[in-house]
Amino acid sequence: MTDRGAFLRAVRVVLDRRDEAPSVAPETGLSVGRDELLAEAERVRAEAARRAGPLLDALAESAAKNAWKVVRARTNEDAAEAVAAACRSAGAKSVVRSDHNVFTRSPVDRALAATGVQVTVLGRGGTASDAGRGRLKAEAFAVDAGITGADYAIAETGTIALHPRAGLSRLVSLAPPVHIAVVERGSVLPSLDELFVLERESLLRGELPSYMNLISGPSRTGDIEATIVQGIHGPLETHLVLVG
Amino acid sequence: MEVKSGEFRKVAAATMTDPRLQEALDGVYTGFYKGRIVQALTTDRWEEQREQGRAIKAHVIENLDYYLGMFTENVEKNGGHVYFAANAAEAARYVVDLAKSRGVKTVIKSKSMVSEEMGLNNVLEAAGVEPVETDLGEYIIQLAREAPYHIIAPAIHKSKEQVADLLAPQSGGQKVEEIAALTRQAREQLRPVFQRADMGVTGVNFAVAESGSVVIVTNEGNGRMATSAPRIHMACMGMEKVIPSVRDLALFLRILIRSATGQRISNYVSMINGPRRPDEHDGPDEFHLVIVDNGRLRLLADPALREALYCIRCGACMNACPVYRKVGGHSYGWVYPGPIGAVVTPAMTGLKQAKDLPFASSLCGACREACPVKIDLPRMLLELRSQAVEGTAGNIKHQPEARNPEGPAERLVWRAWRFGMGGRMRFDLGARLARVALLPVARRGWLKKAPGPASGWTTSRDFPLPAARSFRSRFKRVKRAAARERTMGGGHGA
Repeated sequence: MTDRGAFLRAVRVVLDRRDEAPSVAPETGLSVGRDELLAEAERVRAEAARRAGPLLDALAESAAKNAWKVVRARTNEDAAEAVAAACRSAGAKSVVRSDHNVFTRSPVDRALAATGVQVTVLGRGGTASDAGRGRLKAEAFAVDAGITGADYAIAETGTIALHPRAGLSRLVSLAPPVHIAVVERGSVLPSLDELFVLERESLLRGELPSYMNLISGPSRTGDIEATIVQGIHGPLETHLVLVG
Repeated sequence: MEVKSGEFRKVAAATMTDPRLQEALDGVYTGFYKGRIVQALTTDRWEEQREQGRAIKAHVIENLDYYLGMFTENVEKNGGHVYFAANAAEAARYVVDLAKSRGVKTVIKSKSMVSEEMGLNNVLEAAGVEPVETDLGEYIIQLAREAPYHIIAPAIHKSKEQVADLLAPQSGGQKVEEIAALTRQAREQLRPVFQRADMGVTGVNFAVAESGSVVIVTNEGNGRMATSAPRIHMACMGMEKVIPSVRDLALFLRILIRSATGQRISNYVSMINGPRRPDEHDGPDEFHLVIVDNGRLRLLADPALREALYCIRCGACMNACPVYRKVGGHSYGWVYPGPIGAVVTPAMTGLKQAKDLPFASSLCGACREACPVKIDLPRMLLELRSQAVEGTAGNIKHQPEARNPEGPAERLVWRAWRFGMGGRMRFDLGARLARVALLPVARRGWLKKAPGPASGWTTSRDFPLPAARSFRSRFKRVKRAAARERTMGGGHGA
């Protein structure tokens, strides 16, 4: 065991540095103060709302390039139908759905039931017991599809961002062979820059969740003879339903 | 991992005469290399972002103790456990001890180069714990019991036929042929392992000081599996991986991914801020982080080599390197191949057994051009060459065993060279003498076969005889003639 103090002291000695905070380099985001950052986060949100239409269009394009199967839905009802249609096209008979605000607006469960798909819905409170989590894991690996909302999407890269705070399971978007995500108008950000402004805002407000997952289409690999294959450990097929 | 860089010449020679390996190495060039160039040309403010990334890394490395301190405090605040390891053995022991104390039977591994430094798979096996690599490339080379050939594409040297032979026994001898089918077969083999594993071991692409986050980038989803399914997450990182702010992630993800695979983004980026919280459905109960030195302090101690710690492990330098693309990944003999490997292997593990590596470069500068944080690799390779010959190693104490590898003959040649280059007259005289000396053996102005130790030069190309008149004397004559023409009033059309 190497003691932390000793480890850091050795680094400091080698760098010939005094034990004090350096003046932060202007290039890093750390040089942006709290008030300035919070104001910037407000601007990011306002801009995402103001440009909601063009950003959703840009996302549709970049997501398609990443092999998402993109569906545009005008209304929440259309979106629910699109989710059911995606399940039908993928041959999915059983799904697990994470909780998210979008599903209070879009009647996805009703549309799925009408299609004859069996739905397990995860609640907001999490799964407390080891046994419960074991069952959820087994189910996530067994079902045909996982359905989630998206906290943000990124137009630059064709990406969705998922936070656990909306009652989300990590495995629902990962273990089933098909993942269907619903993105609402207004939640699309231009680039990773804006996303990490908002993440830093969460941090400074003491609200940073335990993780964030960025997902950009079906899993893929190029590890055999540098040939790209879609579908390895994560989902083989991913659908993105854009509402609005 | 054992350092086998002493066998550089042998392995490199074997690789260069193996047509199949040469074909596989072409894949690196056409795939990753071109992809990076397309991204560099189509990303806004690409050069500016490289500069910014470099400035941030320079700032962190110059104040590394401060940022490491901030980072580890925040990891603990988030509920994680931090362990500092001076060397690879210490780090491996921590992982194994924890696995044993928690009753872990199976460990799934997402790609981690630091765990390769630790030789973690062997250590776990010896302790009766089953380690399973889950990155497809790492899985293949684990089955082949080999070291990674490339840090991004570890099994780039294996043909699909070889992969088929390696995978078949894991599916009861059932053999498939096509690449897509092989990929699917590996998926089916690993899914039950993801479900039963008790511990996930991952690397760390970025460690964020202000939030205590570790960020993991994968395309396959295995990184997410390792941090979602098992009850313990163990992350391993070199001490140089820290960046200051959450906001800096946008820039670093952009330059890392675009330089590594030529994608705009990898399919999965996970930012982990500690273990599962009570209101969540899944995720690990425990989060452990091992931070290793393992020779990095030696890099830090040498101002001439410190820059190597800016590396974000994208692999762009090896894709760009004409030497890597011929000699392949195993020649370098340790964890990191290519130009960055040629710098960090001797610097971290000792120059003596890796003294050939700094010479395995044409100093063409393609690596520096490709590097997302503009690491001056050619300068450091020259520095290490000088250290190998002079036996000096910056702040590190002299390594006399590495002194003058080429012997007194080479020293004599260099002394003569220095004398010859020491003055105009000597240089001119030398050139003339060289012509006179070579004239009898040259044919039509070319030397087909140089004598003695210089014969290596002419095995694959001819050597031109020095010209009868030097460029300088011809230039003088031309200038005189031009001046004469001007004074004779040649200005027609005036």
